Amino acid sequence: MNNSIKQNLSPLWQQARRYFLGQAASVSLGAMALQCLENNSADAAKINPAIGLPELPHHSPTAKNVIFLTQSGGPSQIELFDDKPGLKEWAGKELPESVRQGQRLTTMTANQKQLIMPARTKFDQYGESGASLGEWLPYLSKVADDLCFVKSMVTDQINHAPAMTKFLTGHHLAGRPSLGAWSSYGLGSENRDMPDYLVLISQMKRPSDQPLYEHYWGSGFLPSRYQGVKLRNARDPVLYLKDPAGMPREIRRSMLDGIAELNQKRLELTGDPEIETRISQYEMAWRMQSSVPEMTDLSDEPESTFELYGPDSRRPGTYAANCIMARKLIERGVRFVQLIHPDWDHHSRLSSWCVARCRDTDQASAALVTDLKQRGLLDETLVLWGGEFGRSVAGQGKWDSPEGGRDHHPRCFTMWMAGGGTQPGLTYGATDDFSYNVAENPVHVRDLHATILHLLGIDHARFTYRNQGLDFKLTGVEESRMVHEILKNHPG
Amino acid sequence: MKLFMPVKLILLLIISALPCSRSESSAEEIRFSRDVLPILSDRCFHCHGPDESHREAELRLDLKEDAFADRGGYAVIIPHKISESELITRITTDDETLLMPPQDSHRKPLTDAEVMILRKWIEGGAHWGKHWAYEKPIRPVIPDRAQHPIDYFVTTRLKKAGLSLSSPADKRTLLRRVCFDLTGLPPTSEQAQKFLSDTSADAYEQLVERLLASDHYGERMAMWWLDAARYSDTDGFQQDATRTNWPWRDWVIHEFNSNQPFNKFIREQFAGDLLPNASDEQILATSFHRQHMTNGEGGRDPEESRIDYVIDRVNTTGTVLLGLTLGCAQCHSHKFDPITQEDYYSLFAFFNNIDEDGSAGRKAKPYLEYSSPYVDRAVTEAEQLVEFRAKKVDSVRKKAEQEFAVWLDQRVQQTEKGYQGWTIIQPGRLESVAGTVLDHVGEGIVQASGPLPRQDDYLVFVNHVHTRITGIRLEIFPHASHTSGKYTRGENGEFILTDIKLQVHQKGRSQLQDIQITNAIADVEPPTKGRQYGLIKDTLDDDPRNGWTTAGIEEIVSHTAVFELGDPLFLEQGEELVVVLLHRSTEGNANIGRFRVSVTDQPGQAVRSLEPMPLEKLALAEVNSSAEVNSELRSELLAQFLVDHIEFQVVNAALEQAKNQLVQVKKAAGKLNVMVLSEKAEKRETHILERGVWDKKGKVVSADVPSAIMSLSSENELSRLDLANWIVSPENPLTSRVISNHLWQLCFGAGLVRTPDDFGLQGEFPTHPDLLDWLALELVESDWNLKHLLKQIVTSQTYRQSSNISKELYELDPENRLLARAARFRLPSWMIRDAALLSSGLLNPAIGGPPVMPYQPEGVWKEMFMGRFVYESSQGPAQFRRTIYAFWRRSAAPTFLFDSAQRRVCEVGRRLTNTPLHALTLLNDQTQLEASRELAQCIMKNSVSVEHQIDQLFQRVLTRSPTAEEQAVLIREFERTTVYYAKHPDDAKRLLNFGQPENQDDSQYVEQAALMVIASLIFNLDEAISHE
Repeated sequence: MNNSIKQNLSPLWQQARRYFLGQAASVSLGAMALQCLENNSADAAKINPAIGLPELPHHSPTAKNVIFLTQSGGPSQIELFDDKPGLKEWAGKELPESVRQGQRLTTMTANQKQLIMPARTKFDQYGESGASLGEWLPYLSKVADDLCFVKSMVTDQINHAPAMTKFLTGHHLAGRPSLGAWSSYGLGSENRDMPDYLVLISQMKRPSDQPLYEHYWGSGFLPSRYQGVKLRNARDPVLYLKDPAGMPREIRRSMLDGIAELNQKRLELTGDPEIETRISQYEMAWRMQSSVPEMTDLSDEPESTFELYGPDSRRPGTYAANCIMARKLIERGVRFVQLIHPDWDHHSRLSSWCVARCRDTDQASAALVTDLKQRGLLDETLVLWGGEFGRSVAGQGKWDSPEGGRDHHPRCFTMWMAGGGTQPGLTYGATDDFSYNVAENPVHVRDLHATILHLLGIDHARFTYRNQGLDFKLTGVEESRMVHEILKNHPG
Repeated sequence: MKLFMPVKLILLLIISALPCSRSESSAEEIRFSRDVLPILSDRCFHCHGPDESHREAELRLDLKEDAFADRGGYAVIIPHKISESELITRITTDDETLLMPPQDSHRKPLTDAEVMILRKWIEGGAHWGKHWAYEKPIRPVIPDRAQHPIDYFVTTRLKKAGLSLSSPADKRTLLRRVCFDLTGLPPTSEQAQKFLSDTSADAYEQLVERLLASDHYGERMAMWWLDAARYSDTDGFQQDATRTNWPWRDWVIHEFNSNQPFNKFIREQFAGDLLPNASDEQILATSFHRQHMTNGEGGRDPEESRIDYVIDRVNTTGTVLLGLTLGCAQCHSHKFDPITQEDYYSLFAFFNNIDEDGSAGRKAKPYLEYSSPYVDRAVTEAEQLVEFRAKKVDSVRKKAEQEFAVWLDQRVQQTEKGYQGWTIIQPGRLESVAGTVLDHVGEGIVQASGPLPRQDDYLVFVNHVHTRITGIRLEIFPHASHTSGKYTRGENGEFILTDIKLQVHQKGRSQLQDIQITNAIADVEPPTKGRQYGLIKDTLDDDPRNGWTTAGIEEIVSHTAVFELGDPLFLEQGEELVVVLLHRSTEGNANIGRFRVSVTDQPGQAVRSLEPMPLEKLALAEVNSSAEVNSELRSELLAQFLVDHIEFQVVNAALEQAKNQLVQVKKAAGKLNVMVLSEKAEKRETHILERGVWDKKGKVVSADVPSAIMSLSSENELSRLDLANWIVSPENPLTSRVISNHLWQLCFGAGLVRTPDDFGLQGEFPTHPDLLDWLALELVESDWNLKHLLKQIVTSQTYRQSSNISKELYELDPENRLLARAARFRLPSWMIRDAALLSSGLLNPAIGGPPVMPYQPEGVWKEMFMGRFVYESSQGPAQFRRTIYAFWRRSAAPTFLFDSAQRRVCEVGRRLTNTPLHALTLLNDQTQLEASRELAQCIMKNSVSVEHQIDQLFQRVLTRSPTAEEQAVLIREFERTTVYYAKHPDDAKRLLNFGQPENQDDSQYVEQAALMVIASLIFNLDEAISHE
């Protein structure tokens, strides 16, 4: 059968056709029952990964690709985004119980008085939209009109691993597919030389307390081909990518030809179609061996790129260099790129720790938005920036000392998005006077997921996968809301 | 529009003509549990099932009484009366407001075929029954005694479909298949020889007996059990601390090898501590229920963690033994299976009284102090390796000392008077990021002036080409222009250097290369505690919260720091070194005012100390011959000489690794703390947790089993032992079926129930229900004898048929649900690794002992934990142990296992995928490559002709000779490769130079390199990695 036709057929159709060809007109019950048996099996194995699910998209998407700038650890919305000038008068006073309302604390601060620590930064309004930003984000403030801020994010987890697992997989326990894996499963890939979902982690010299677990970008119960592939800043950008020293490409090619030839013979003998897949996977491995190094090599980028993304972008493995790579990958048709900066857990010393993370990320994040816009890619690329939760208005350590930091806070935090069908220059949702509770338009993490899927053309409620007898979906069992108000040109 | 008319029509025809979705029987023979219940469960129970919190219209369709009840003039189901049964009306109506399931439930509408089933069922009298798996298995009648029972069931089923078994597999294929299935290894040459030449009638039965008696049988079975038991050598979660539960792993292997009855195996794992006069091993067994993850994350409430562990035990019990998705009932009554939330927490109560407090790491009591009987062997092995490598170091050192004598003579002649090891840098360029003005004021000294930013980074550009650089020296000077004449122009005159970075910039390139600094020392450091400014080593971690200062030291003098490079650096023409000094402290205003940078080419001690360098001392000593050099200086110079002696460094590093390994292995030699179960004296009350939330306590419940499965009455309070006995009771309808299904899956790649973790209403119906029941009863009646059941399975004709498949058969039954052929599937990745070790002769077949570290690409742990854990590959024979002994870090599973269970929670399904990443692993994993090299070397020793060598390679990996066609391809590849390596001998050497070649023969490296490539080619063949 012609491949291009085959790719456009649903699995059911293929079975029907197979059946039709095999049985001509007479219908025997036994044969039909077999078709039924087949029907019961996990259909995923039969889905063509290149085109994703036949029933997708559910509606016309506004975003084709996603770049998720994940700020692991929980950036402080109070220093960076959520301006609360009134807090100055509360400095050093105890957080009123009417505000705290029994909020659970981590055991790190549970036994200490919740004394209010106003923002360590000065705020200003930027752009025509007048978005307010703290002084530690000078570059982001220049592109404020391109961004859509959500100040009313909510999660229900207060510790890192469960909160990040929730943020990226929709459930606080490990084992569910990540957002990127769902996207890749549903929509497939446009690049036959690269996996559809790539993960880029910013390198740091010192040990970080937050390990980045593989399940954050895992495929959960989806087939493993949908899991995020981590691009490493090492000899092998992908594990086992590089051939051993002393083996030139020509010998590898020749060897792969030998493998393919012998596998072909085995296929003829055994009739096992899995061998056919194996042959093509070895070919894709060969292609990846040249496409991945080519794509991760930024040496061809002009000087102007590095000037735009800042001095850190000249050093491979940094967040800034990864931002350039993300743009490059999106240009080549990779569906989902996830950047992770691992070190936002500033429990102390905001003015060195939080500042350091802003220096790492501010210029490059802003540059990415500018760069995508200049290249006409921002319309079809959704850029997301945020961490797994926010920080508390109460100081950790002495509120009036430079040592002071902030503990985790799940009840409100800020994210921003750009492109992909979101409304630029919009600030959505608000918190109370203490940046402690959401005052209007709460956006729970699962609402965020529903909205991201919507932008990709997927109705989250209809996008399910059967596992252990249940139809799982990214947004889980609780009600979630698609946030229409942040869509571009949304009336009102 | 994806379908065009005629096809759509055919599709409709197929679906509507089908009697059912799971049966080959005719429409008249509709069975409730097989045909009707799955439809009701999937489409109706969500709102009309056991879960009361989501129940609509006060209607339960899981209960006959409810479904048949008169609901005021109508009933949902009236037997024999389709048109009066509300059920049929509601699933067929055109009125969207009435249609079931409702649209907003997001449940798929019923297909025509499904509607047909329900109609026929009601028409036929709507006979009600139980879900099949909750009924006790019944021993099916086997009319033909001569036939193997398994074959009877399979062929009966095949006949109905007009099919028969495939022809038997050839002897060699069968041999490989059964070896992999029963030992996880391919046959050795001897095993193959013995079986293939054995023409006796029971040759195969004898082979099976030999394999079941092999110690490798226990390892193979343990791998199954360890995956299900989520076994790992670390806690998981943020801290992911190492634990020492591996003696339990060895206990499991031992139990399988000694073929302990499975009911005893379970009883001891659930309640070994509660048995009368429990032995250490019986207590050790209970570690099964402590293999869950433990969370030591700071800030977490330990009680919340403890609840998680108890939940994990309940869910694991459900998944691995009962085939039930109990986890659903944690938050609400099960939506499909008759497990209420109360049932769930009654099970929870069995595990809720463990003497634990939710801690992790070294505080995860209760522990058993246990000495492993498997450690001595490992210690001896590690000691022998140290001895072996120490001898090698000695001989290389002797050779190096002779070279040193010549070198020293030269140094004595050539070292000038007043020799200075440090070369002062005349800075090429000076920049600052935040505006400080930096000027070179002579003699390499740089002075800051101008603006006073709070924080600033200084960049010093060094053009120092063609000379080796091993270290950098930074001098910081006080100056009269600084505050109080100290070091800076800031508030108090003290400096804080938060970090230093070295980068190489090549002209014309935009990117920079980071240079690693491995060590730093300073003349003074103030006393510090915690994360305060003070220590020089804190300038290497890119963390602005710490760094070097001399604040607090009264005397105002110049200060010096020396930084050692990881590898010596040679700058080429057009390259410059950038020294970046970062001043990013929390409060700031501590930017250095006056400094100087120098470099040196001297290695070792010279850049690890502020003392005069050995060569400087030599210059000062003013000696005329090497004989006059005093012994102290001589040994300093020798140490420095050896730093640059590559051969010595290589063998010495290998020795150091072997020594480290010995230290680690010895740590395992004493008493180890193994996490086990023991009861807490004071009983914890068990509550239903509302919505599954750990601190939302509801009604109090006591320990009990789910009565819908099988009730258990007792006058006393039930214990874990009662639970264990209930699970392995012959009356329990689930356990024996679930375990038989696991064993079937081990041999056929898929179970008779294709959802091994779900025998409930949402799981799949067995492909051969009678066979499953027969196996289950055979297991119970043989006194839970696993070897017996496995022998039954592998001696059937069903197992012994060929796995080759015709196109017709594939089209008919692509997933082999009818078993008209044996299974062909890719081996799990651990078997692929073990097979490569065995075929190459590298395998170290030792049983048990502390975990080992197989090769893994560098930096995997480091990246994940940002340096907190470092992976050191095992040295010597420890490297080549079976995969079951590989150290398992929960949050970073061994990288070469590309399809393993995750070992976070219990998993019993199989994960077989086919991706390019797997291909890359098998092509480039160091174990695979080392196996290829060793195999090549081994073959070269024994044969000379190329044909014979290739034949031997093939034999060793695939237990057969290549066909003429295959031989031709391999010879072509061998020749191509040989031509290349003959032209590029250096590549051949590089290809062979890796890993741990203790006895590398270098004489024929071109041929060996070419053969190694061919060996690797064969290891990558689909046949080599497949269960055929």
